[in-house]
Amino acid sequence: MSWARAGLFAAFLFVVFILQEAAISKINFPISGFSLYLAVLLGLMSLEDKFGAIVLGFIGGLILDFSPSSDAPFGKWALILTLVGYVFATNRESIGDFTERPGSFVIFISIGSALTLVVFLCFGVLLGENNGAFGTNMLTIFGNSLWTLLFAPILLPGLVKWRSITVNARERA
Amino acid sequence: MAASGNNRSRLLLVILLVTALFLITLDLRGINIAKNSRSATQTFLAPVQRGFSDFFSPVGNFFSDVKNFGRAKAQITDLEKENAKLKNQLVVNADVKGQLTKLKGVLNLAGRGGYKVVSARVIGQGSASTFSQTITIDAGSNDGVQKDMTVINESGIVGVVKSVTGSSAIVILMSDPTFRIGVRIAGTQTVGILLGQGSNRYTLQLLDPAGTIKFGDALLSLGSDNNHPFVPGLPVGSVSFVDHSNSALTQTASVTGYANLNSLGVVSVITTAAKQDPKDSLVPVPDPIKTIYVTATPVPSASASPNSSPGSATPKPSPTSKGKK
Repeated sequence: MSWARAGLFAAFLFVVFILQEAAISKINFPISGFSLYLAVLLGLMSLEDKFGAIVLGFIGGLILDFSPSSDAPFGKWALILTLVGYVFATNRESIGDFTERPGSFVIFISIGSALTLVVFLCFGVLLGENNGAFGTNMLTIFGNSLWTLLFAPILLPGLVKWRSITVNARERA
Repeated sequence: MAASGNNRSRLLLVILLVTALFLITLDLRGINIAKNSRSATQTFLAPVQRGFSDFFSPVGNFFSDVKNFGRAKAQITDLEKENAKLKNQLVVNADVKGQLTKLKGVLNLAGRGGYKVVSARVIGQGSASTFSQTITIDAGSNDGVQKDMTVINESGIVGVVKSVTGSSAIVILMSDPTFRIGVRIAGTQTVGILLGQGSNRYTLQLLDPAGTIKFGDALLSLGSDNNHPFVPGLPVGSVSFVDHSNSALTQTASVTGYANLNSLGVVSVITTAAKQDPKDSLVPVPDPIKTIYVTATPVPSASASPNSSPGSATPKPSPTSKGKK
């Protein structure tokens, strides 16, 4: 992944982050809210190679750390999403090309989103944070996964298109 | 070649993980990278949120409206009748009207308590990915809002100002798992601590081992030193379940909050507390249950016996039905 592409992805993710914070968070989804940002980030990571997924995870995590509503220490999301990026890329290599298997992509993103939030909670426990009621957290994770499962098919074509625009000829080869 | 790529990825992974851990350590050791950067993000986000708020206000509750569609169907007949009346009335923006009602309610509460308040619109909610229960309001330090000020709505306490920028502020809601507030039971004045649980249910823990809690007890805020972060006497919630198990030293209970944190449109920030503690004067008074008595009057029937003259008809006892509304 070139520096220019990393910059482009950072700008794109920042726009999605603003959309998430300003608009998506205003919608009262049943069960629990939907994190468009996580879905987009995990979607992009799943289309990248190992190196790209790690870089994207770190950049995406840093942007999420800027969330004004977050109480977590700065860098926590960066740490988690870098790890998730690595795990994603490692597993993706065994699954193959997601663009040819949209079904797998959707399930992968949905489960990945849930696992990311679980890891976030677990790190919170390790850092001594108060995460609240277990049931409520599980409901939040379930709700988010459900909405990700429903919205990911809409996101996939856009993400594939975006990636093909940003990939230069050398990287494509 | 592939091995080289893998090594490069692993090296990058280690570097980035160490960087992230370094950032976390700095933050936990009190070097406020997060505070400044998040404050800057909030300053940038507030105008965008305000813009989106105007657009999303009518559609924000779309999903909950869809969920209640079945229930709403039964009301269609009544609504059709009302619709005819409404056509003749002045068309008022429903959203603005709703906000006005809430504003009236909150100003009424503030007036009764003698608090000076700054009212604000809710322009954002905490992200689904952060697990923290917060809202963003469109009033900031330029309007006199400061950190650790109490935030109320028409029903009672909502939360506390967590951070402030010039034109906006983030409020941590009562439902946040990190939220703690000292409360007292109206009447008995028994003191306890209310803990946020991530929903509109809270846990009350009494401090006095001899204290008792009853179902329906009203809870009011105890107040803090210098009225920050909490002013005294604000309605907090009512006891919905009492835990009678003897495992804890003090009694605990489940509490339902008075304020519905899922539909916050307008809130007020208490900038100056009342000169005197309002004591129990702000305890919400439940609406009296209206009992309607319907008395059936016997109507002379056409099929009455021809032998019986109207004057000799023995009046039947009036059946009386009782209904509650």
